[in-house]
Amino acid sequence: MSMLDLVRVEFKLVYGDLFRRKSAFITFILYPYIFTSFTLFIGYAVGSPRGFVERVGVDPVVYMITASYMLMSIFSSIDDLLWRPLLDLHIGTLPYIIASPVNRLKYYTAIPIPRLVAVLLLGFTSILPVYILYYGLEGVAVVFVVISILIVGCLTMVFFSIALAMSIHRVGESWRMLNIVRPVLMILMGVYYPRMFMPLASYILSSFIPSSHAVEAVQRFLMGMSSDIYILIVLAIAISFIYMPIGKISIREWEKSRVRRGVETF
Amino acid sequence: MGLAIEAVNLVKRYRTKKRLGLFKSVTEVVEALKGVSFSVRYGEVVGLLGPNGAGKTTTIKILATLLIPDGGEARVAGYDVVEEADKVRKNIGLMLTVEKGFYGKLTGRENLEYFAALYGMDRDVARERIDYLIKLLELDKLGADTKLYEEFSLGMKARLSLARALLTDAPILLLDEPTLGLDPPSARKIRELVKDLAHRDGKAVLYTTHNMFEAELVCDRIIMINKGRIVAEGTPAELKERIPKLKVLNIAVRGNQGNLKDILNSIDSKFEVDSGEADVHNIKVYLKKPEEVLDELLKKFIGRGFEVVSIKIEEPTLEDVFIYFSGGST
Repeated sequence: MSMLDLVRVEFKLVYGDLFRRKSAFITFILYPYIFTSFTLFIGYAVGSPRGFVERVGVDPVVYMITASYMLMSIFSSIDDLLWRPLLDLHIGTLPYIIASPVNRLKYYTAIPIPRLVAVLLLGFTSILPVYILYYGLEGVAVVFVVISILIVGCLTMVFFSIALAMSIHRVGESWRMLNIVRPVLMILMGVYYPRMFMPLASYILSSFIPSSHAVEAVQRFLMGMSSDIYILIVLAIAISFIYMPIGKISIREWEKSRVRRGVETF
Repeated sequence: MGLAIEAVNLVKRYRTKKRLGLFKSVTEVVEALKGVSFSVRYGEVVGLLGPNGAGKTTTIKILATLLIPDGGEARVAGYDVVEEADKVRKNIGLMLTVEKGFYGKLTGRENLEYFAALYGMDRDVARERIDYLIKLLELDKLGADTKLYEEFSLGMKARLSLARALLTDAPILLLDEPTLGLDPPSARKIRELVKDLAHRDGKAVLYTTHNMFEAELVCDRIIMINKGRIVAEGTPAELKERIPKLKVLNIAVRGNQGNLKDILNSIDSKFEVDSGEADVHNIKVYLKKPEEVLDELLKKFIGRGFEVVSIKIEEPTLEDVFIYFSGGST
């Protein structure tokens, strides 16, 4: 069973959904700007841009569009994993997936990849114009560095998301749990609140989320503190692999619990 | 070749929580299967026939490794459905609810490609097989290549669902109410195909339905299930033979009514006569084996100057059989 074939059909599924649903496509492009406008609006209302630059060292517009883009990228790819079992349950594909001989870890690893590619390309419609405006042509190079770090950030979330999703979906009404867990993840990942300024307890807690290290790497890069970036990236990858066996066990246990109750065929 | 499907004493209980208040609840146990045993051979279509809630889908789910039984054991293609689920999955084609089970924003072909990848099929082999199935089920004529699944009619959805079940050319097919809600042409197409798959290609087919007429048309053998128990099993003809209900011989003759009573009184059976217009008499004779007296009866009618207009033998239906064996309750 080829992983490549699984990724290929997932591409068709995600791109079919994205390009055949115009509203999804438009919101997909607009979301980083909407998030940025919202955060800037709040930020300007309660503080001053100069204060932000003094504390963080980056212009708030650049910082927030990057933060929004990072959030979009990481969450778009992990959301596929978090919600997919529920989607499959409701559209009736779940029994056929469970009754198939597909390698589960390969299958769930293939799921976020197409959307990851899409959101990374989104960098060219979101951060690129803003970076060029602020940094000139050098902004293009900055975009490539940010996207490269984010690729690591998104990929390192795959096993973590599998483990999280399958643990949550063992509980009844898991969608409620997801709606609680997602905002907590968003906060702990530190995309809007610079991670290195987090209180120690939050910082330690966020260390368990692999992509939070990639987020910090991007933030440090924008602040001109590039020396620690490699360590953060290695740390993200290392932590990600800890979740691989946990993810595998979680899938097996989730499936067992489904089959024990009986996979719904309604 | 061994048995395709073998179920021995299958038991399944569902536990549901019934709320009695904010914090109080009681667990209710519903016994969906109460010791179901049966087998299916390769090359035959076996119908699992019963009303809603009889245990048909529960049985299919257990055999498809989608549900773990509480008791008994089941083997599919010789593999245990609990212990060797992966091997069972490689040997079955599955068709569950007709109206769901595919991705709406993909075309019929793209959906089949998706599941082919899930079943681990080689890309070229899958493409060839999908081409074949699309033609076989006439999905090409209905535009399944270009139409999105969300635009499909119920008939198209059912055909696509059957195409998926046939994707890997698995030797065993588990089909759960495959014609439910379909228009007559689509239902007929599926029924014919299922029969061909068993009789021509040697596949074992377990076919659940609550439609007695359909079961009689499609199935070589029927297992009647009610309230989690098997109530009868056999070929449609055997099942009908087993019930005491008499067959009805319907004869319409034209001629003088006066001679009619003499002829009918010579048969030792209950009869009814309904005389219509133009000297046509519709006669119903209740017999265990009407074939045995038909020849003699016709000779008598013709000998007395009657013109025979029509002859029809009404057999007890599977519905009669089901009602008889389930004690009149469903």
